[in-house]
Amino acid sequence: MKLNRRAFVGTGVAAATLSAPMVNAASHGKPKVVVVGGGAGGATAARYIAKDSAGEIDVTLIEPSRSYYTCFFSNLYIGGFRELDSIEHSYGTLASEYGINVVHDWATGVDRDAKTVALAGGGAVPYDRLILSPGIDFVDGAVPGWDVSAQNAMPHAYKGGSQTELLKAQIMAMPEGGTYVMVAPPNPYRCPPGPYERVSMVAHVLKANNPTAKIIIADPKPSFSKQGLFEEGWQKHYAGMVTRIGPDFGGDNVSVDPAAMTVDVDGEVIKADVVNVIPAQKAGLICEAAGLTEGNWAPVTGHTMQSRLDENIHILGDATNQGDMPKSGFSANSQAKVAAMAVRGALTGSRVFPAKFSNTCWSLIDTNDGVKVGATYEATDEKIAKVDGFVSQTGEDAALRQATYEESIGWYEGITSDMFG
Amino acid sequence: MAHSSGLFISVIGGAALVLGASYGWTAREFRAAELDVLTDRVGQLERSNADWASKADQTSALEARLSELETELSAALQAAEDAKQAAMQPVAEPVQESATDPVIADASALEFGDPARGEEVFAQCRSCHQIGQGATDRIGPHLNGIFGRRAGAHDGFRYSEDMSMMGSDGLTWELDTLNAYLENPKALVSRTRMNFAGLDDPQDRSNILAYLRQFSASPQNIPEAAPTAQAREVELAPEVLAIVGDTDYGEYLASECKTCHQQDGSDQGIPAITQWPTEDFVVAMHAYKRKIRPHPVMQMMANRLSDEEIAALAAYFAQTE
Repeated sequence: MKLNRRAFVGTGVAAATLSAPMVNAASHGKPKVVVVGGGAGGATAARYIAKDSAGEIDVTLIEPSRSYYTCFFSNLYIGGFRELDSIEHSYGTLASEYGINVVHDWATGVDRDAKTVALAGGGAVPYDRLILSPGIDFVDGAVPGWDVSAQNAMPHAYKGGSQTELLKAQIMAMPEGGTYVMVAPPNPYRCPPGPYERVSMVAHVLKANNPTAKIIIADPKPSFSKQGLFEEGWQKHYAGMVTRIGPDFGGDNVSVDPAAMTVDVDGEVIKADVVNVIPAQKAGLICEAAGLTEGNWAPVTGHTMQSRLDENIHILGDATNQGDMPKSGFSANSQAKVAAMAVRGALTGSRVFPAKFSNTCWSLIDTNDGVKVGATYEATDEKIAKVDGFVSQTGEDAALRQATYEESIGWYEGITSDMFG
Repeated sequence: MAHSSGLFISVIGGAALVLGASYGWTAREFRAAELDVLTDRVGQLERSNADWASKADQTSALEARLSELETELSAALQAAEDAKQAAMQPVAEPVQESATDPVIADASALEFGDPARGEEVFAQCRSCHQIGQGATDRIGPHLNGIFGRRAGAHDGFRYSEDMSMMGSDGLTWELDTLNAYLENPKALVSRTRMNFAGLDDPQDRSNILAYLRQFSASPQNIPEAAPTAQAREVELAPEVLAIVGDTDYGEYLASECKTCHQQDGSDQGIPAITQWPTEDFVVAMHAYKRKIRPHPVMQMMANRLSDEEIAALAAYFAQTE
């Protein structure tokens, strides 16, 4: 792919007409912010900076996908509760209403001295402040036998879109009484309840279409998010269908053979019809390429979400090592608002207030059986520290569970309009 | 022949005349005697009536005294029971919030008042709510068995979405929640259909609560009017309501709200919060902060907001379009 004007123009005709004056304005010395990654962190940050600076800051958003499929609610697509297009979003409004220069290309590296971002299509985009919100990539060799070249045979479906569609198709095509195996990831990883909500949704689909099918989870973690709630729900709705092999029974010693469609759990070979491998995770590659990681993640200060290794770069969401917040879309969205405020303060002198963060994760177990967990956080010098929290209780009545599910639908509408305008 | 028959008629006529005069005298005498008897009887009845009236007065006075004694006995029994419970309960009561907190300082002990006066206060409710035998849903739901009922949970009545949602979130009508709702319905349930400004006078509320309680199925399960029955009300100190919010700060804080509450005011699954009158917003957030309003997310979010931050949010949302 070579860089051409089109790549800078963004989405749609309206964007094209707006982007021209933005380029001119940039040459008059307006401060420039570049955002890499158009998910819950990046899209939110770009939108808030553009909106609240009212044209005082040039904002460029670099995101390879023209259509963004949210990872959150993708399990509900697998369970048959959402259509795929209901979790698909475009960047048209960010370009047309907020004047954001949306560039559909891969950011491949950062020259921190020259303060430019290199694009796969060629060329480089200059910045005064850079915001990286690249999400996750997988740790090489985390599950022996699996790499990205095997993701068609054994999908991860842990980035929304085609992988989600593929996994759903494989589940629907399972033979009667077949076996679905999930290889669950070790901590920390994107969306702590995600794998277990997925198991619930797979069970929901199989119960209706293939009730003698089995679900096996090979899990390296001794315990997991909302465990009591999920286990209660599986017993209630899908009794006998779900088996979890924890580390005490070798769930932490797993390899796969994509050609044979087998999973080896501590020496015991399981023949499977669908294998959903969710490998160990690390910060999106651009963080490592920019030299901003320590270990698998990028350390940041909670006050501003600035990288601890480069004060001109803010990092958001799943890619960060920030403290107590879980890796979730909600967290990334929350962090984006703190970063947007800090960036505007630094570039235009606007008022800056103390950082406040929050997160809530809803999960669906079965029809109208929703649960949630949430917490509030504040920035300390060491980390983002938890202040207060709550979690749904086992044994809650049906009305409350239904209200929780309906609330999650409202939240989805809220956060996606907060991201994409 | 004709002559003799004429005489015969005349003789009968004379006899009839004599008889008639004789009867007339007898009837007048009889009526006078009867009137005397009746007059006597009326006199007796009037005396007896007065007697009964005074007896009825005495009875109702005795009944009232009995009722007072019963109430005293019941209170004494309750006090004894409370003392017993307190003695058997070594665990400390949950820590009360600091009395120096201006928001909490106004919280006062809540007691059931006088049901008879409550019935008078209830008159203004009757246009919408029925209560008692044969009560049915009208503009508002009937209120039999309201104590202990989950909010928005009475089958067959179409509640506002907010009321249903509060019920799902766990709002149950008890002494304290009903008191808060009666004081300011929209502070507790923002978009309730109950078009009623609220009862400012705590005495009116405690009287009406006493009246409503008579129609709940299990009044013995309701917290008694013992001095230990505390309810925290959403009564905010004037200085808290007087804080002028910083809209810039409010805008930043509000960004956190907008992850869930949509900025265009749509309310699918999660209520809209735009264009909310400032004072209602402030009262509602304090009600969450003090956990009178149910909902764990909102309680958590409100819990860490200072009075100034709540005012800032209210100021910001009041000006949103």
